[in-house]
Amino acid sequence: MSATKRRTENPNHPRVKRNTRAGQTESFLDLVRLHRRVARSSASRLLQTPASTAVTLFVVAVALLLPALMFGLNSNLASLLAGFQESAQVTLYLKDSVSETDGQEVSNGLLTRIDIDFAYYVSPSQALVEFGASTGLEDLVIEMAANPLPGAIVLTPTDISPAAVEELARQLQELPQADMVQVDSLWLQRLAAISNLVSAIGSVLAVIVILGLFFVVGNTIKLAIESRKAEILVIKLVGGSDMYAARPFLYTGLLYGLAGGILATLLQGIVLATFNSNLEVLMQLYESDFQLRGFGLISSLLIVAAGAAIGWAAALIASLRHIRAINP
Amino acid sequence: MIKFDNVSKRYADGQDALSDISFEVSRGEFAFITGHSGAGKSTLLKLILAMQTPSSGQLIANGVNLNRVSAKQIAHHRRQIGTVFQDHQLLHDRSVYDNVALPLEICGYQPKDAARRVRAALDKVGLLKKEKSFPEALSGGEQQRVGIARAVVNRPSIILADEPTGNLDPGLSAEVMNVFQQFQSVGVCLLVASHDAALIERLNCRTLVLEGGKLLADQKPRPLA
Repeated sequence: MSATKRRTENPNHPRVKRNTRAGQTESFLDLVRLHRRVARSSASRLLQTPASTAVTLFVVAVALLLPALMFGLNSNLASLLAGFQESAQVTLYLKDSVSETDGQEVSNGLLTRIDIDFAYYVSPSQALVEFGASTGLEDLVIEMAANPLPGAIVLTPTDISPAAVEELARQLQELPQADMVQVDSLWLQRLAAISNLVSAIGSVLAVIVILGLFFVVGNTIKLAIESRKAEILVIKLVGGSDMYAARPFLYTGLLYGLAGGILATLLQGIVLATFNSNLEVLMQLYESDFQLRGFGLISSLLIVAAGAAIGWAAALIASLRHIRAINP
Repeated sequence: MIKFDNVSKRYADGQDALSDISFEVSRGEFAFITGHSGAGKSTLLKLILAMQTPSSGQLIANGVNLNRVSAKQIAHHRRQIGTVFQDHQLLHDRSVYDNVALPLEICGYQPKDAARRVRAALDKVGLLKKEKSFPEALSGGEQQRVGIARAVVNRPSIILADEPTGNLDPGLSAEVMNVFQQFQSVGVCLLVASHDAALIERLNCRTLVLEGGKLLADQKPRPLA
């Protein structure tokens, strides 16, 4: 077939029509279609090397899981604390000189206060019986000549914040009948401090992990770019911008983060299931039905989104840096 | 369209690849660059393609001052130029079709419109039946023709070619030149590096002769008898 013959047959012979590039994409839909194609090819490239992809995914997932577990643990502690704080108690021990009727009166008087939710009087004899029952020393108690226990009023504050409870305790201490005021909230404060510590560790870990993920994903992208250097060179030679050449790698980073995030939420499910079966035994001993809760839908989505965002950003930095360095 | 004004290119090792080159090629002009290997043909093409920057002198191609261009401008500049590389520069993990479609994809053409253009370009170089093949399965000459199809698919305003007929037999060479001349006739500026004396003689085009980095002669086409 001769060229001249073909030329006359071919209706698409070149015409200079540079101002009317009808074929160029204008619509959003075309852009979506293009991106979908790039994303699909990036995904299929990842699947072509399943072993190394799996290793990277696992690293990303574990890295995301660690701070997520810390935050999860903290939110569990916080909810546990909230449960306990509802039963925060203040015990007002009365002087020995206060009689049972006076004690009852003081208790009733306290009930009218707005900052006290509930109060009940425990007489010395009642206290002794309770002491005997709870310690199993009933026989000893019966044989006692005198009751060494004081009368007491057990109070539940309305406002359970540490400051309010302390203020209430101070005021109770000033009552003429008061001997001693005991606040059962010290250990709660300790638990709250532990909760804050866990949260702080989670935050520091999150920062370290984000940095680590940048290195892991960045390095993976760098290797991928190295192995496709010839292709990037050709793309640049025919006028592809750095951003165009980077696009497949951005999808690679995004996919690593996305899949890593999903894997992380699955792993936390496994971790929690393992913990909960052990915890159940412990909590039964405390007659509690407390259970570690999972991340929930919103938190899980947040982890996946965070993974995707970190993966994409790491890929963006790595690919633009390394692609810029490739010059024909 | 392409204007060299006292352009010199000295490499980092002190070697002068081009010295004091001045010439101008306008729209719709077809010029050969000839000379022995090492005469500076490839360097000259690389300067136009902004793969290298001139050491001195001024170079303007397609209205772009190539002495000072940003990375973004370079990408845009190269999209207006169709280049046939001596070593083809094809992507070996993509089919012939996808290789030729690459410049269109970069410019964001719709797949349907791109397909029409890719097939037209492949038809021009006689490779329509090979669109699904991969470059490795093709002969050197066929690979070269894929490169030519890719160079012309985007209807560039400048076509640069470095030994485009190096691997082709005379018949195919003539066909490729025919394709080039079609582009010339619609106003495209062509610059072809070649040392195929017979071909140059036969086509009777303007010829720039380089030797040792200097422009030895600028031969105008012989007047037609």
